[in-house]
Amino acid sequence: MGAVTSPARRPDDAAGDADVMRRIRAGDRTAVDDLYARFRRPAFALARRILADDALAEDVLQEVFLSVWRDPAAFDRARGSVASWLLAVVHHKAVDSVRREESQRRRQAQAEDEKALDAPTATRDVEDDAWSRVVAEQVRTAMGVLSAPQREALTLAYYGGYTQREVATLTGTPLGTVKTRMLAGMRRLKQELGGPGGAGALGDVWPAEERQ
Amino acid sequence: MSADHRQYDELAVGWALHALEPAGEAEFARHMPGCARCAEIVAETTEVMGAMAADLPQAEPSEALGARLREAVAATEQVHRPAPPREAVAPPAVPAVVPAPRRARALPLALAAAAVAAVLGLGIWNIGLRSEQAELSSTVAEQQDVVDALLSPDRVELDPLGADGRPVATVVPRDGGIEVVTHGLSVNDATSTTYVVWGVGDDGAKPLGTFDVERSQTELRTVGSGLTGLDDYPQYAISLEPGREAPSDPTEVVATGQVTS
Repeated sequence: MGAVTSPARRPDDAAGDADVMRRIRAGDRTAVDDLYARFRRPAFALARRILADDALAEDVLQEVFLSVWRDPAAFDRARGSVASWLLAVVHHKAVDSVRREESQRRRQAQAEDEKALDAPTATRDVEDDAWSRVVAEQVRTAMGVLSAPQREALTLAYYGGYTQREVATLTGTPLGTVKTRMLAGMRRLKQELGGPGGAGALGDVWPAEERQ
Repeated sequence: MSADHRQYDELAVGWALHALEPAGEAEFARHMPGCARCAEIVAETTEVMGAMAADLPQAEPSEALGARLREAVAATEQVHRPAPPREAVAPPAVPAVVPAPRRARALPLALAAAAVAAVLGLGIWNIGLRSEQAELSSTVAEQQDVVDALLSPDRVELDPLGADGRPVATVVPRDGGIEVVTHGLSVNDATSTTYVVWGVGDDGAKPLGTFDVERSQTELRTVGSGLTGLDDYPQYAISLEPGREAPSDPTEVVATGQVTS
């Protein structure tokens, strides 16, 4: 691992993130402020993308950062960077929230919009720095390498919070095909973002039928 | 890697994306402990997901949120538990999220280990889910209750109707009430519907209690109170009902199970 582009952050941020986590584990409440300062923007961006509701997104952020303060050892059980772990927790809680809050009917209505959206490119609320733009461009390029069905499946699942079965229904595709697309799409993204090596469990099997 | 693992590769990606149905989640939770390949796929998928978050319109939460969080942190104590070795610093050759079931042991112990693994495994991404409800100790106690119920000799496993049958719920008749462990029932709309547990005997079905499924993970609740005569039911059923009260007869039975012991 390690070669995959970190979420909109500079490479030297990782050591600082780990240091902040160490301070939180040591019981330093001010370290939560620092963690929040580092991640509030990408975390909020992700939560509001999934929830389409600023208030609910802020509730998710509060829940996530408070949970990190309460139980920082949870990070020790995960693997990988602080950034990816934290954003995965944000994703998980935002998806839980959207499943709680939204009626199925509303979700069906929104789904049409989701399907139309290949990659999120809305106007930016705040000015991104040059680094963020470079990283976003890398991700967008990588997404562009996927086949349209792979991109659609991963977009619906990740940005839309839909289950594989819901994605199958929304796209009129057999469930097994959706699962295959998500795996193949992830392998492709891993390879694109992780460089030509592409080692790792996602990359080491690439049956011919998945090449698109 | 053998072709047999292919389905778990797919499940691992779906798990990391939080995109599995409850049945898939339960299946993966049973498989994942001790599977280095799955742990790696989950980790890699998580890193890719982190990168995908970079391609979003950056946005600033309100200033009030920072203050709110600071207040909440000031009022919250940390959970203390023995810190495991830092896997992120030195990834072990075989990362195990929870202890793997020991295959050499007798079946009941292996089952117990698998059940514990299934329950605890579900918690990996649920850090703090219960943060407002309870301390970790009570969460662990609840998990133990789930394990006890799943291993109870009196348990009745309920299979879904009209689907290929992996059990979606387990009921355990106890003195004066029924424990219901859900591990595959859909989340219901708790404002306008309710699940009902039925005891089915010669005289037809009798409603024993109601419950809601609030999330897709495994949960245990006790329904009914002061119930008697539970030994007389050869069969149990769960239905999903419109409204918040149990009707006199089930409307839509979603799962049934025979008493075997």
